[in-house]
Amino acid sequence: MKNMKKRTTLLILTAAFLLAPPAYGAEPTGLDIMKRVDARDDGDDLIQKMKQRLVDRRGSVREREMISLRKDYGRDNKSITYFLAPSNVRDTALLTWDYDGIEKDDDQWLYLPALKKVRRISSSDRGDYFMGTDFTFEDIKQTPELEDYHWKLTGSDSIDGHDVWVVEGEPRSDELKKNLGYSSTRYYIRKDINMYIRVDFWDRKGQELKHLVSEEIRQIDGIWTAMKGTMTNVQTGHRTELTFSDHHYNSGLSDREFSERMLKRGYRDSSQD
Amino acid sequence: MKQIFNRVLTHPKSVLLLLLLATVLAASQMRHIYIETDMDAMLPKHSDAYINKQVLEERFGSTDMLIIGVINDEEGGIYNKRSLALVQELTDWLAEQPHFRTLALNDLLSLSTIKDIRGSENGLDVEKFMDGVPQTEAEIEHLKQRMHEFGLYEDVIVSADGSGTIFAVRPMPDTRHQYAEVYDLVKAKVKELEARGGSEQFYISGRPVIEGVFGVYMPAEMKRMQPIIMALLLLLLYLSFRTPRGVLLPIAVVLMAEIWMLGTMAALGAPIYTVTTMLPILILAIGIADAVHFLSRERLLAHYQAYAHRKERLIEVMHELWKPMLMTSVTTGAGFLSMLASDLPPIRDFGVFAAVGIAYALLITMLLLPAALMLLPEKKQHDERRPLFSGYVEWLGRTVLRYPRRIMAFFAALLLISVAGILKLDVNASLVDQFKPGDPVRKADRMLNRHFSGTTSLDVMIDTGRENGLLEPVFLQHLIDLQQELEKDPMVGDSSSIAEFLQTMNQALHADDPAWKRVPDSSDLAAQYLLLYSFSGAPDDFETFMTGDYRQAHIRINMKTDETKVVAALLESLKSKTDLWFPKEKGFKVEWAGTGFTVHRLSEMIIDGQVASLAVSILAIFLLCWWMFGRLLIATIAMIPVSLAVTVNYGMMGNIGIPLDIATALTGAMALGIGVDFAIHYLHRYHEESVAGRSYEESVINTNRSVGHAILFNTFVVVGGFLVLLSAALYPQMKLGALIAATMVICYLATCYLFPVLLGLGREKIRV
Repeated sequence: MKNMKKRTTLLILTAAFLLAPPAYGAEPTGLDIMKRVDARDDGDDLIQKMKQRLVDRRGSVREREMISLRKDYGRDNKSITYFLAPSNVRDTALLTWDYDGIEKDDDQWLYLPALKKVRRISSSDRGDYFMGTDFTFEDIKQTPELEDYHWKLTGSDSIDGHDVWVVEGEPRSDELKKNLGYSSTRYYIRKDINMYIRVDFWDRKGQELKHLVSEEIRQIDGIWTAMKGTMTNVQTGHRTELTFSDHHYNSGLSDREFSERMLKRGYRDSSQD
Repeated sequence: MKQIFNRVLTHPKSVLLLLLLATVLAASQMRHIYIETDMDAMLPKHSDAYINKQVLEERFGSTDMLIIGVINDEEGGIYNKRSLALVQELTDWLAEQPHFRTLALNDLLSLSTIKDIRGSENGLDVEKFMDGVPQTEAEIEHLKQRMHEFGLYEDVIVSADGSGTIFAVRPMPDTRHQYAEVYDLVKAKVKELEARGGSEQFYISGRPVIEGVFGVYMPAEMKRMQPIIMALLLLLLYLSFRTPRGVLLPIAVVLMAEIWMLGTMAALGAPIYTVTTMLPILILAIGIADAVHFLSRERLLAHYQAYAHRKERLIEVMHELWKPMLMTSVTTGAGFLSMLASDLPPIRDFGVFAAVGIAYALLITMLLLPAALMLLPEKKQHDERRPLFSGYVEWLGRTVLRYPRRIMAFFAALLLISVAGILKLDVNASLVDQFKPGDPVRKADRMLNRHFSGTTSLDVMIDTGRENGLLEPVFLQHLIDLQQELEKDPMVGDSSSIAEFLQTMNQALHADDPAWKRVPDSSDLAAQYLLLYSFSGAPDDFETFMTGDYRQAHIRINMKTDETKVVAALLESLKSKTDLWFPKEKGFKVEWAGTGFTVHRLSEMIIDGQVASLAVSILAIFLLCWWMFGRLLIATIAMIPVSLAVTVNYGMMGNIGIPLDIATALTGAMALGIGVDFAIHYLHRYHEESVAGRSYEESVINTNRSVGHAILFNTFVVVGGFLVLLSAALYPQMKLGALIAATMVICYLATCYLFPVLLGLGREKIRV
């Protein structure tokens, strides 16, 4: 019940936000838009199935399936991901405590069923690639750390019939560019739902590096959700397709779902309650 | 035939115009010429070394890395703040250059990019050995200790004694034609770092550098040698004719032939290889002979005023000469065309275009000279000039008749020594050995091989035949076994594979207990380790060691040499092991690739092609001689000087220790083709003399008198022309030049000294 209430509040807030945009005339700045993106409701918790398809330039495919649970703790969040396929990594599970900001490193534990042991893994750099995908640790966050970039609104465009803002983000320092691996990024943000549907990335040498395209965007439990995201590295010809399904937002996941004990126990359907 | 000659002489201006047009056309094609420096392109496309190399690059990425070594001979080596700061700076600089692919760890390996895999009480840490430049003594000591304990990069990235470290960086896939620029760029950066006056010494090598330098050397060599050989020809022509037309007309003939030949190569899309850079010199040196014969004959007839009209005289010259010229061109051409028996494109191209050039030279001689002589003002009276070497030629005629036994003994001894030498003949297709010992590239390469694991790549690709196959413990153990077997060879500096990394991870996850430094016990565990690694390290850290479906594995081997015999012996010794560990009947497939393997296959093909082309050329030239002279015995005798010269050629190589390589492999068929001309001229004349009823002695003296000169001139031109190659920047060219020059001297001696003796032995039978 508590959840329902919170959800309703959120919905109302979101609706209010959407229905009463700031007065037209004064165009928002790039940072304003990115703040809206950051503030967009993505639920307090989420259970979803995820399918990874890693396709290399020769077209050979590696697939993984997993189910992941996430819960927000203020600006921090915890998540647990169980591998379902392929069979040689089945029941491998990853627990992440993700802290807001960059002061505190995230905590990560991995359970290896073949070893029957939980292992803590060292935190990665933000620019490091994640699990053999074309996404870096920075890319898999819902929004980048806003204060690390200069945001600039460069105009409007239309993609697939949707009006979008075009916002360019340039990491503020050479150090940041090095860490993130990008010299520049460009976000295409749908004006109606404050969600980016395309992102272009340029590498440190200023050459085009990657494109992220989000597709099949629909509302689930009142929350705008992309069912598919494809990141293509134009330099390596490698791409990662992520497909999401079986979403459950705000189902009131308990704290103990995100513990070492659960990591070892493995995923059971009943854990959804 | 006479009608054709007549037509040429009736329309001299049209003929000249046509020649000029053809030359302009050929010259216009020359801009399409391109230089091929890729060593793999020297292999035929169907060769497994060529195919495997493509497969390797496709599956695991290119292994042709540019290598920079830094060596600090001071106490403590590179483990000091200054040197490490340089390492960091150079790494950052390399990462920023657009010429390099720096997407994955294995694209840019240096002390500041490689990662340490370490176990702790409850986890796995994968982090860079150097996260920024270490600032304190303690941090530096820690770095040193970690490098040593981790082990996998010792001698590969940092030399075991800590005196030096290397950078290995991968050029962008499509930048092969820019390798020279990339080398210059890196050289400039290194110079800038050296200029700061530290004790660090930098060395740059690796296959891109070697190929880049070739790409610069080759056209530069061609441009540099052309004037030298032209000057030589001008001098020899001046000594022979002492008239402007006598000097300029033959030069015009060979230059035209050269332009036509290069234009033909360009139009047909044939690239310039290291060996084909010698074609212009060859055409200049060989093509000149026909023009010289033509002019000498014309001058002789003009002197005796045998014909009232210039046109009649020229027709007579053409009529007299076209057959022997055609014959000698055909035999020389046959010698070169026999190179088609080789599988190697550079050797095949060399043979074909040399033959084409010779044909052009003949054609141009027969068109340009008569047409030009028709147009040039007729000289009133030709002085008779005593040819330059008349004294010698007369002496020669008498001497050979006086000392037949000594001459026989000399050649018999030469033959014996040569046969002994042939037994010692070696083959070596090494890329690095193509540079002279003092060349900066070769020095850098030697230095890097001394301090580190080696600059020559050798690669094994093992296909397990099924998805996830390489995760199997048995397979992983066999990878380790194979690496241990490889590393027994002192010339193998290092090898690396996914199995090594899995061993290290296994150890790290068992609290760094060295007892656990072994391959994971199960396929699932191996898969989970790799998944685990992908959270801490970059996923493509291993893309060079295995394919994404875990089906194909790659062992990367660094060798300290690309010498053929070392690689051949290594491959031979591993054959039984790989058959045992990766049996075909269980679906495994083992494929070799890399520079070492390319060199190995090149060597095999050089030998095979060598034997085949020699056999073909001997047979072809023998048959041609038989057909020309109409007698088996004379054809056989005609083959003696060249066969001897070729034997001496290989004997010299064996005795002096010059290995067969892609350039020196050309000497045999080349010497045969050029040398047989001497025999044909000599025999032809001797035959005529004896038909005219002269005695053996008279025939020998007369033959020497008439063709002795021409043969001597030819010998001078060819020997001189090839000696120009001694100034070449590349070793094989130098060696080839010296060898051909020496062989032509032998060929001359055998023709002018041994021939008369042999003819004397069989004088009853040979007299026609």
